[in-house]
Amino acid sequence: MRGRVGVLVAVLLLTTACGKSSGKAAGSTKDSVTIGAALSLTGSLSREGGLTREGYDQCAEVVNAKGGVPVGSRKVKLEMRYQDDQSTPDVASRLVEQMNSAGIKLLLGPYGSASTEAAAAVVEKNGQVMADSAGADDKIFAKGYRTTFAVLSPASRYLSAIVQAVVELAQPKPARVAIVSADDGFSKTAAEGGRDEARRQGMDVVAVEYVPNGTTDVSSALTKIRPLRPDLVLGSVHLAEGVAIVKQSQELGVNPAGGFGETVAPATPDFVRTLGKGAEYVLGSAQWTPDVSGRDDWFGTASDYAAGFRGRFGRDAVYHNAEASAACLALVMAMDRADSVDPKKVRDALAGLDADTFFGPIRFDETGKNTAKPVYVIQIQDGKVVTVWPKGPGAQPLRWPTVPFDKR
Amino acid sequence: MERFAQSTVYGLLQGGLYGLVGVGFSLVWGVTNIVNLAHGALVVAGAYIAWELNATFGLDPLLGMVVAGLVLFGMGYAVQRGLINLVMNAPIFMTLLLTFGLELVVVNGLVSTLTGDYRSIPTGYASRGFAIGEVRVPYGRLVGFGLAVVLTVALAAFVGRTRTGRAIRATGMDRGAARLMGVPVAHVYAVTFGLAAALAGAAGAVIGTVTTFSPAAAGGFTLRSFVVAVLGGLGNMWGALAGGVLLGVVEAWGGQYLSGTLVNAIAFAVLVAVLVVRPSGLLGRPFYEARVEAG
Repeated sequence: MRGRVGVLVAVLLLTTACGKSSGKAAGSTKDSVTIGAALSLTGSLSREGGLTREGYDQCAEVVNAKGGVPVGSRKVKLEMRYQDDQSTPDVASRLVEQMNSAGIKLLLGPYGSASTEAAAAVVEKNGQVMADSAGADDKIFAKGYRTTFAVLSPASRYLSAIVQAVVELAQPKPARVAIVSADDGFSKTAAEGGRDEARRQGMDVVAVEYVPNGTTDVSSALTKIRPLRPDLVLGSVHLAEGVAIVKQSQELGVNPAGGFGETVAPATPDFVRTLGKGAEYVLGSAQWTPDVSGRDDWFGTASDYAAGFRGRFGRDAVYHNAEASAACLALVMAMDRADSVDPKKVRDALAGLDADTFFGPIRFDETGKNTAKPVYVIQIQDGKVVTVWPKGPGAQPLRWPTVPFDKR
Repeated sequence: MERFAQSTVYGLLQGGLYGLVGVGFSLVWGVTNIVNLAHGALVVAGAYIAWELNATFGLDPLLGMVVAGLVLFGMGYAVQRGLINLVMNAPIFMTLLLTFGLELVVVNGLVSTLTGDYRSIPTGYASRGFAIGEVRVPYGRLVGFGLAVVLTVALAAFVGRTRTGRAIRATGMDRGAARLMGVPVAHVYAVTFGLAAALAGAAGAVIGTVTTFSPAAAGGFTLRSFVVAVLGGLGNMWGALAGGVLLGVVEAWGGQYLSGTLVNAIAFAVLVAVLVVRPSGLLGRPFYEARVEAG
């Protein structure tokens, strides 16, 4: 009996120890540079963590296929080193610390604001440099960090972009807006940005309801909102809550004339897949779409990037993929400009970066935010994600107002 | 008033689902004294089976539910017989570790084979419903609630009236005495665990239809099951349903009149309140506390 118990304990210990392999000391060698990233490969953010990893992999493949980054007289290839943060900020910061001990100074960000915030503190302390791909909460950039640079637009823009798009494109304009927000830092910041913008545009914000982060039950918030008869329901949410808002609105008969606008959920493929017709008309914000204008020497244009991605993964790139590739691209461009892989020089080159890329403009303000790039607004039309704002060559007309759920 | 009525109805329906999720957990805990931390993973596995059958063969999730239940019964029986029976006499810490390990294996197995994508089983009816005045009643959740009641009645009848059911109860009351009476304890434990797994699988199929799921949801289901089982009284099938409904309604009311972010706090506040007033749960009998633990 005791022997069996011992075996079980050993197995469990091994299971928990997985993903913590430290490996040999890394950093840069003559012809390669190790880029580290703590990523949510398991746990509640494993889906988005996986998308981020694909974006990083795509970047490494494209750069290495061109021989690597020119540094001085040689070309260095990118060697990616991922470790699983289990969707837990504490683990992310510990992994960044371990990478530092292993000599890895150049990092790409984890998925999500919470893990990025935890990692950024360690990065700063150790003199590492991090290109942040998915940590958008403005709070991360309010701490005076000098070594974390985010290629994506800040959280406060996510929902306000949808409000701006609706004000510019919708006829009739919505007058009453209700907001449902998850209670994590990123979503709250985005919700406040949307609320302020809606008020600035003269709309009546009839409710701001908070729901637990990651919940699949938002019925309480919807039951509160329904009698207030909003014209537009905005969600500052992730995928789980975003799907729940639409699904449970169908159940509860919440049918605002302008439909729904949600931050990060609608652009992910799972949104249409899980909601079917319910997903039609839903507006979303995206850090990137294949219609973005701009080009760079590594990936070409946005549609080149999309084609390359499809060639490798067999499906369309979503913005989570693109923002990850863009963070990696920023690091690559900085190494190129600095002519070095030394973290201090790369950091200075990042700070001075002013580049036109497949992801749109990348230029950092003094806090490390990319304020040059707009947030794009998309809409689900006939089961596809199309860009509707800002108006440009690739943008489609907004479908407005919406058709109630039971008439579709 | 509209808000109160709507939230009460929705909470009732939601509570039926909680009951369905928790009843198997309660059965296993009451009979075998195992706190099965892998219960939520079984719920998720049931949802995946129903989803896969729907995606591949277009099978309605209500039929897929039957298949999910049968498959999970077999898996549950095998796991109890081959694995958990090994640690039945070990301290409770070991069974916790073992079932926690099982949960990790199932959840991460699902992530690596089927990815962590969010899924939902598409049907034409689940999100539709009818209205009584201002109160909307969605079909999908109504069916889920009906199933919770039917399966609870069936389970109670099985445990109360059949020979196997009596053996389950006898083993739960006093393992040593049951064994002396010729009850094959290892088999009875395995049947109990299989039944619980089957019910978890059925619950998973319903949940997959009315809401979204991903492997990461497993922990949440286990937590809810724990609250439901303790609320209702361990090993009492009606208790699990009552506990589920109480939890659903209180959460719905709490969400209306307190902050929507407090749902988990509300769930545990209810648990503490019930345990203070009735330490053996809503419908639990103190008998179970006095159960003889014989090796």
